[in-house]
Amino acid sequence: MEIRPILSALMRSKVAMVLIGLQIALTLAIVCNSLFIIKQRFEHMQRPSGINEADTFWFGSSGFGRGYDARATQLADLQLLRRLPGVVDASPAWSVPLSDGGWSTGMNLQPKQKTSTADTALYIVDDHAVNTFDTHLVAGRNFKPEEVVNATFGDSLHPAAIIVTKALADKMFPDGSALGKQVYLAEDPPTSTIVGIIDRMQQPWATSESIEYTTLVPAHMPYGNFTRYVVRAEPGRRDEVMKLVEQKLVESNPSRIIGKMRTIEQTRNEAYSSDRAMMIILGTVIFLLLAITALGIVGMASFWVAQRTKQIGTRRALGATKFDILRYFLTENFLITSAGLLVGGLLTYALSLWLLTHTDGAKLLPWYYVPVGFLCLWLLGQLAVLGPATRASRVPPAVATRSV
Amino acid sequence: MLKMQHLSKVYRTHMVETHALRDFSIHVRDGEFVAVTGPSGSGKTTFLNIAGLLEEFSSGEFWLDGVDVRGLGDDARSKLRNEKIGFIFQGFNLIPDLNLFDNVDVPLRYRGFNAAERKKRIEESLSRVGLSSRMKHYPSELSGGQQQRVAIARALAGSPRLLMADEPTGNLDSLMARGVMELLEEINRAGTTIIMVTHDPELAARAQRNVHVMDGQVTDFDTEPALRVTTRKPDAEAAVA
Repeated sequence: MEIRPILSALMRSKVAMVLIGLQIALTLAIVCNSLFIIKQRFEHMQRPSGINEADTFWFGSSGFGRGYDARATQLADLQLLRRLPGVVDASPAWSVPLSDGGWSTGMNLQPKQKTSTADTALYIVDDHAVNTFDTHLVAGRNFKPEEVVNATFGDSLHPAAIIVTKALADKMFPDGSALGKQVYLAEDPPTSTIVGIIDRMQQPWATSESIEYTTLVPAHMPYGNFTRYVVRAEPGRRDEVMKLVEQKLVESNPSRIIGKMRTIEQTRNEAYSSDRAMMIILGTVIFLLLAITALGIVGMASFWVAQRTKQIGTRRALGATKFDILRYFLTENFLITSAGLLVGGLLTYALSLWLLTHTDGAKLLPWYYVPVGFLCLWLLGQLAVLGPATRASRVPPAVATRSV
Repeated sequence: MLKMQHLSKVYRTHMVETHALRDFSIHVRDGEFVAVTGPSGSGKTTFLNIAGLLEEFSSGEFWLDGVDVRGLGDDARSKLRNEKIGFIFQGFNLIPDLNLFDNVDVPLRYRGFNAAERKKRIEESLSRVGLSSRMKHYPSELSGGQQQRVAIARALAGSPRLLMADEPTGNLDSLMARGVMELLEEINRAGTTIIMVTHDPELAARAQRNVHVMDGQVTDFDTEPALRVTTRKPDAEAAVA
């Protein structure tokens, strides 16, 4: 391998080498960090909500007109919904996971605690919620019908019984003894008793740091004339049931408007639309950067081949085979790429550290991104230079004797 | 050393067919110093290219140091060229980004010599042309005559049996040209066969034998029997022998 003479020749064309090396270094730094961000976003999007997303939908009902009884309508609607063919179960719910709107409060272990032990989302539901959301009790029991209180919006909620997610239970009682324990949902008594623990049910806010801390509160509590329902259909019948529900509810009480029905799948898509947009933008940046780098290498190598045609002919005349010429250009590119990658490796971690200190939730780039990036950019460089190098290998040796 | 019989070279485009060499025959013996002369476009360079295995020929026969060159693949021609032939070009053809040491090293690397052997040969050949003290200099730091000496050192480093020189003094003033010619004569005296293409009748006169090429054919040659060259009588040399 003629590495030393190639290096020596390159050192006499420093500008071109530095420019292309710098381009490779920046590409490595940006591509590695962008890929890591994409991976983080993807993992963020893939977190399970803890509920049945495929068969569940939710909607609101707004009553109007004099004499509209929201509480009576809610009870009648729930009875109607649970009887409809194709419906597994239904529950009132002020909010649903990933819907980006709902209630939250601090959960405390002591009265008048200054800093909450955990921040939790509150889902105001009834005793059908666990079944409707298809979440699973890992300890304790479901609400009893008599525990579902009639409440009015604006009342302080002091439910006697609550169900919490396992993540919240572990946060409140790290020794695993949450079941049966009493907690404060407000600064003052009375306390609420944890009667059940469900495995998982995310908060309505996809970006929340405490997304797994959720509490189910048993209450029938319309918001004025507005009530929100969650319905789970039998597997594969969701869309059919959605139409039927709308039709039957309107028939049962025409003094209200049924709001837009949304599936949990749609809700998830909307919740993560910014993550998806970020992934697309970063993916496009990566593609463009790699394309520009590859084109830069092709352009530089093509220029060098054109500039050195006589030199290539001379090498051929002096005994170089076509493969020797091909190898020369591949080696030259490998050396330039390697120099760029060495700088790029440092730059990659510098960028990762900068993101770590300037971005919420950022993590340090895992070590293996850099060697994988090295391999990919080496491969890209070799593929990019292959065309010009092949053209160089086809320069005939007779070029050496041409005077122009 | 080199024998061509009824060799022709035709350049074809879809419009034109150009006969660069026609029925070209020549026999250069070991240790000869042959000057090939002729006007521009006569076919001298084509002859040089074919003799130096830089180009293929269209028909005829060609033996180089006993090897039948017909049908050799590109790699085999490269190997043969590297082992048997040293080239001296009119424009020196040194690689500007390499110092003298690395320039002379180029053909030796393709030959596959180990580092120690290459170093020995490079030092010897640069010493032979009087430039051993300037190994780390770059071509741009040398005069034209010195650059041509480096090119000669490069050509000699692989101990070739045949030296092909294409207008070796074409870019030099008369003083430098004389120095280069003296060097070539010395190399020839040491046993290396030299074929030199030149316009310069004065230089040609210093060769042992002159071959004049016109319209792709040998039209004139020295008649010294031992160094006889033929064009259309392929059996003549055998008769002479």
